[in-house]
Amino acid sequence: MASGEWRIEDDNKRVAPASPVTVGDAVASEPQVTTHNSSLALVAEMFPAGHNGALRRWPSVETQAVSLFDKRAGLIPSWKPHWTKVPTVGLTFPLGFEFQPKADKVAEKDGLNKISGPKVAESDLAELTDRSAHKSMTRLKPPSDAISLADRLFYLLQPPLQTMLAGQELIMPFEPFPYQFEGIGWLFQQKSALLADEMGLGKTMQTITAIRLLLRAGQIRRVLLVCPKPLIPNWQREFKAWAEELPLTVLEGDGTRRRMLWQMPVPVLLVNYELLVRDWADMLDDEKPKFDLVVLDEAQRIKNRDSCTSETARSVSRKRSWALTGTPIENRPEEMHTLFEYMTVIPKGGTPDLRQMQRLSRDYVLRRTKDLVMKDLPPRIDREEYLELTSAQKSAYLDAEQNGIVHLNELGDQISVQHVFELVLRLKQITNFDPLTGDSVKFERLAADMEEIAASGGKAILFSQWTKTIDWLKERLPAECGSLVYHGGVPHKQREPILRQFKDDPNSHLLLMSYGTGAVGLNLQFAGYVFLYDRWWNPAVEDQAINRAHRIGVKNAVIVTKFICKDTIEERIDRVLHEKRELFRAVLGDGTNSNASLSLTASEIFGLFDLKARHGKGTKKIAPKPAESSVDAA
Amino acid sequence: MSTAPASTESLRLGFLTALHLENRGYVAGLLVTNKYGRPLEFQCTAPVRPNRTQELLYGPTLVPFLLGELLSKTLLDRIGIKPHFVLTDLTEILDSRPHVALPVACVLKGTTTDAVRIGKLNFGLHAEFNEDSKAFERLAKELAADADLLEPLDRVREALDETMKAAA
Repeated sequence: MASGEWRIEDDNKRVAPASPVTVGDAVASEPQVTTHNSSLALVAEMFPAGHNGALRRWPSVETQAVSLFDKRAGLIPSWKPHWTKVPTVGLTFPLGFEFQPKADKVAEKDGLNKISGPKVAESDLAELTDRSAHKSMTRLKPPSDAISLADRLFYLLQPPLQTMLAGQELIMPFEPFPYQFEGIGWLFQQKSALLADEMGLGKTMQTITAIRLLLRAGQIRRVLLVCPKPLIPNWQREFKAWAEELPLTVLEGDGTRRRMLWQMPVPVLLVNYELLVRDWADMLDDEKPKFDLVVLDEAQRIKNRDSCTSETARSVSRKRSWALTGTPIENRPEEMHTLFEYMTVIPKGGTPDLRQMQRLSRDYVLRRTKDLVMKDLPPRIDREEYLELTSAQKSAYLDAEQNGIVHLNELGDQISVQHVFELVLRLKQITNFDPLTGDSVKFERLAADMEEIAASGGKAILFSQWTKTIDWLKERLPAECGSLVYHGGVPHKQREPILRQFKDDPNSHLLLMSYGTGAVGLNLQFAGYVFLYDRWWNPAVEDQAINRAHRIGVKNAVIVTKFICKDTIEERIDRVLHEKRELFRAVLGDGTNSNASLSLTASEIFGLFDLKARHGKGTKKIAPKPAESSVDAA
Repeated sequence: MSTAPASTESLRLGFLTALHLENRGYVAGLLVTNKYGRPLEFQCTAPVRPNRTQELLYGPTLVPFLLGELLSKTLLDRIGIKPHFVLTDLTEILDSRPHVALPVACVLKGTTTDAVRIGKLNFGLHAEFNEDSKAFERLAKELAADADLLEPLDRVREALDETMKAAA
C-alpha cells in the first residue's frame, strides 16, 4: 500500500502527496490524513482491519512477451492516414462545329493574316509569369442572367477572345480593334442583345464573329439572320470575308425551294424581312422552324409594334434574340419598347418607363460612338458649301415660293403637313437644278470639284434624295468623271457589279447614290470624298450615308461637302437640324450624339414657313404648334 | 506514360492547380483543353481540410501529399476526357507524378539547365521522371512558340473561386 500524506486545504481540494509514493513500505507507516487548518487540527488514522493483510503481500506479477505489431498490443499505427473519398464536380463542354481550315490551306490564301496573340518580350520571363501579362486579354464574363454554376463556369473557362482567335482556328482578314473584341465578347454571352454601335464601327463583323464563336463552342446550331433586302449581298460579302468557312444559306427562289430551305438545318440562314413575313404567314405552326439565335439587322424595322414585320419577327421561336441598329431611337424613346419585347426582356405589350428603360439599356444594349472608340480613325472633314443660286434658279425659286405660300394660305384650316411638304420638296428640287433652264449652281461646283478629284485618281460618292436628280447629273457630268449610278431604280442583279466597278476601275471616280438605297450597309471606305448634293430630313441618315466612306479601314481623311443654297429652304432646314442635334447632344451627352435620327416633326416642317390662315378680317398663325424653339429658328 | 495523341488536332492538355481557402482547406481544379486552349472538360474537388492530427503527423509533407497525391490523383482519375499532359504552376502538384501515368510539368519562374521550354515558359519536371522531358519537347513543337500556358491556369483559379462562392 502506498503511503503518503494527503492534505486537505481549506477549500477541500486534494493536493498531491508531499513525498513520493513508494511501493512496499506501507508496513511501517500508517496512512494518515491530516489537515493543516488550524481550526480543524485533527489527525485521522487508519486502523488495520482483517483484509489489510492481503495488502501487505507482494503483488505477483507475470510478464509475457507480445510482438510489437501484434493486434493485441494495440500498437498498430492507428494514425495511418485515412482520408475519405474526395467528392468532385465536373462540367463537360459541348462539342462545337469544327470549321477551321487546315494550316497549309490557310497559308495559301492571299490577304489572310494569322492574328498572333499579345507579344511578350523574350527576355522578360519574370513578367510573363506575372499575372499582369494577361490583363489586356478580353475575357468572357458570365452574363447577369446566368444563374446556374454550370452556366457561369462555361463562360469563365472560355479562353480570352484573343487566344480563341489566335489559335489558327479562326482566320480573319485583319485583327479586330479592342472595342470590337469587347463587342464580340459581349454578344457571345448575351441571350438578349441590342448592338447599337454607331454606323461604321463594325456591327456586322462583330456579329459574324460572335456567331462563329458560338457555333464553334456548340452553344448554337441554327441561326436566322434577317436583314433588309438590299443588304443581303453585303452580309454575304462580310461572311465571306470574316467567316469563310461558315456555311451561309440565303433564302431565295420560288415557294417550294424556300419551303425546303426553311426546313433544312443549315447553320446560318439569311432572309430579308419581306420573305420572312410572307413565308411565315404561309407556314403552319408545326412547320415553323425553331432557331437557337435570331439576329435582326436594321432592327428599327420592327419599331412599330403592330406592324406585320414586327409581329412576325417576335413570333419566331428562338433561344437568343439579338438586334442590330445604329439608330435604336428614330423619333421617340418608346420605339425601344418593341425592341425590348423582341429581346424578351419585357413582357408582351410592356411599356417600361424611362427609369426602367435605362436599367434595361445597361443590361442589354451596347452602344459605342466613333468619337469614343476610334480616336485614331482619320478625321472626317465637314465642309458646308454655301452657294448663291444662279439667276435663273433664283427666279424660279422665288416664284415657286411665292406661289406656294399663297396657295398654302389659301388652303386655310384645311392645310396639312403634306401640303407644306410638297412645297418644300419643290423648292429643294429647284435648288438642285432649275427644271426649265437646267441651271444649277451645285452642279457647277460639283463639276469643278470632280475635275480635280478625277485628275488626282480619287473617288467620291454623292447622295441625293431624288433618283431624278441622280439621273440628271449622270447625263451632264463629263465622261472623265466616270460616274456610276446606284439607286432604287437599278435592278438588284446589277448593283454588285456597279459597286465592284467603282472599287476596281481606276476610271470610275464618282458613284451617284440615293439616300434610300446607298445610305446603309455599304462599305466604300476607299472613297475619300462625299458630296451631299441635297440635304436629307434627318441628320442620322446623312451620317449613315457619310459613314459608307468614313468607316473602319479608311486610310485617309474623308472630306464631306454639304451643298447648301443661301437664302433658301435648305439653309433653314440645315439650321433647324443643327439645333436639334445640339439639343440631343446636350441631353444625352457626346457618347450618344447620334442616338436618334432627329427627323423634322410636323410642327417643324410648318415652322419652315411663316404660315397664316385667314381669320375673319385678319389672319391667324397656324403653325408651328409645340416646338417653340424651332419656330424661332425658322 | 500516357498514350500519345493520334494527331496534333486531338492533343489534349490538362491544367491543374489548387487554392488554399481560409478555414475551408484546399481545393483543386483540372481543366482539359485542346491544343488551342478551348475547354473540353473541367473537374474540381470539394475543399479538403486536414484535421489537427493530420497536420501534426504529416508535418511539412502535408501540403505536397494533399495537392500532389490526394487531390491531383482524384481529379485525374475522375476526369472523363483524359489529357495527354498535365501542366501546373504549383511545385507540390509535381508530386502527383509518381501516382499518375501522365507526364506532369510545373512552370518555373527562373531558368535552370534542366528546364523544358514550352511556348515562352520554362517547365520543371519531377526528379524521378526525367524521361518525361522527351514527351514535353514533342509537345513544345506542337504548340505555338508564343503560347501562353499560364492563362488557362488563371481560368481554373477563377472557376474554383466561382465554385466555392456558389458552395458557400
